[in-house]
Amino acid sequence: MDIDDLLAEVEVDSVPQEKRDLQELTRAWVAERVAPELLPWPESLMDRVLIRIRHQIELVEDQTGNMDPKANFKLIIIQTELERFKFLVRSFLRARINKIHTHPLHILNGHTEHSASALPLLAPSEYQYLMSHQALLSQHYASSFLSQFPASLQKLDDTTGGISMIDKPDEDAAVFCRCLRDVGEILVEGTDIRFEMTRGDVYVVRWSAIRGFVKSGDAELI
Amino acid sequence: MALPLPRGLTPSEVSFLCEMELVTVTPRQRLEGLALLGGPIKPLNPPHRASLPLWLALLLKRQRRANILPPPWLSPHSLTAILDHETEYADAFSPPPRLPPQPSSNTLPFSPPFLLGATADAAPDALPYHWLELGEMLLEAASDDFEDPDNVRKLLRGLREVRMAKLRTNVEKLDAGGGVKMNGIGGLEVGEGRAFVTGVIDGLRKIAASQEQQRKDRDRYEGTGDNYDDDEMEMDT
Repeated sequence: MDIDDLLAEVEVDSVPQEKRDLQELTRAWVAERVAPELLPWPESLMDRVLIRIRHQIELVEDQTGNMDPKANFKLIIIQTELERFKFLVRSFLRARINKIHTHPLHILNGHTEHSASALPLLAPSEYQYLMSHQALLSQHYASSFLSQFPASLQKLDDTTGGISMIDKPDEDAAVFCRCLRDVGEILVEGTDIRFEMTRGDVYVVRWSAIRGFVKSGDAELI
Repeated sequence: MALPLPRGLTPSEVSFLCEMELVTVTPRQRLEGLALLGGPIKPLNPPHRASLPLWLALLLKRQRRANILPPPWLSPHSLTAILDHETEYADAFSPPPRLPPQPSSNTLPFSPPFLLGATADAAPDALPYHWLELGEMLLEAASDDFEDPDNVRKLLRGLREVRMAKLRTNVEKLDAGGGVKMNGIGGLEVGEGRAFVTGVIDGLRKIAASQEQQRKDRDRYEGTGDNYDDDEMEMDT
């Protein structure tokens, strides 16, 4: 390690929390837009970001009465940035809701499996949304046609007979990813493909092969 | 309410990302420091240069409060050199800029658009991830800050064509398993090529799905031993 590395390390540590959060939020947004399945809910990050957005909105509301042209321009900048942040958060949440709509039962199963762990799949409000959406949907199906079927055929999540009714996202779908730390050899299950992935490399690879690295922060989707 | 867009980023989302890149500006007016959500902005004191996110720099530029300093790689000289490299090596993109030293394992690693690929002291000999978007945006909003904007525009167009051709010829290398290396690809190029490249890989995978499943089952049954490749040969003959 030479002096440049040491300096750089000090610099990295001195990066303000806000900037690190912006990097994390941007990464989470891109990942959610690109990944075939729902990713764990970044709870502490979203808490920090949402609190900051709320404070900024209060600031804007306080300052709007100020007629001084200089303060006015500052306010324009602040509001422009606020809108950018709101877009990021909103697009992130909407991408998640889209996935919740597409595979509700699969996600619910995943969520109950992970609910005890530190990284739940869904935010509390998302869980609530999923449950009430699913309740409405099954009620509607039941009243419009399912009740006419024999009782044994009425289930929406039947897994007997070797075929599961629960729709799953395509976990082997190809994604573009960038490696953030050296992760060593990647093996694609069921094929001869194996390759070293080092920091900075960009690969097109199956989501299932690099999912773990994306979740641990060693790689990112682009 | 749910996002109706398919997987992948749209071009406008990519340029939204690109607007977070830091660029160097020479302010023409004073501006007090600001506490923004994405980190504080230092006070602007002309004629001292400062680094600002592109969206803010464009706003200041539009109001003639600042001039933007194009990054060194966005000069005719550098672009010509990179273009020569691109045409000479037909099988890979020109290498991306050198990465900053590896951060320690517990810090958050940064990646574009937060890697300083567009400030005045960026590397002059490599295209950063958001090269095309950044070049286009700067040429549109701040062409008077370039020495030779027409030439830069022409070279960018040339680079784009050479690189798109590479992306297309790369198709022959694609196969069902993926694992295709694409170092040096740009953000907009990922967005453009994504549907096609991933579509081809996914399609090929579905064709070969049953074979693969057979193999997976066998792997699980036998475990991955050393004689495993031989087995594969026997199966094929």
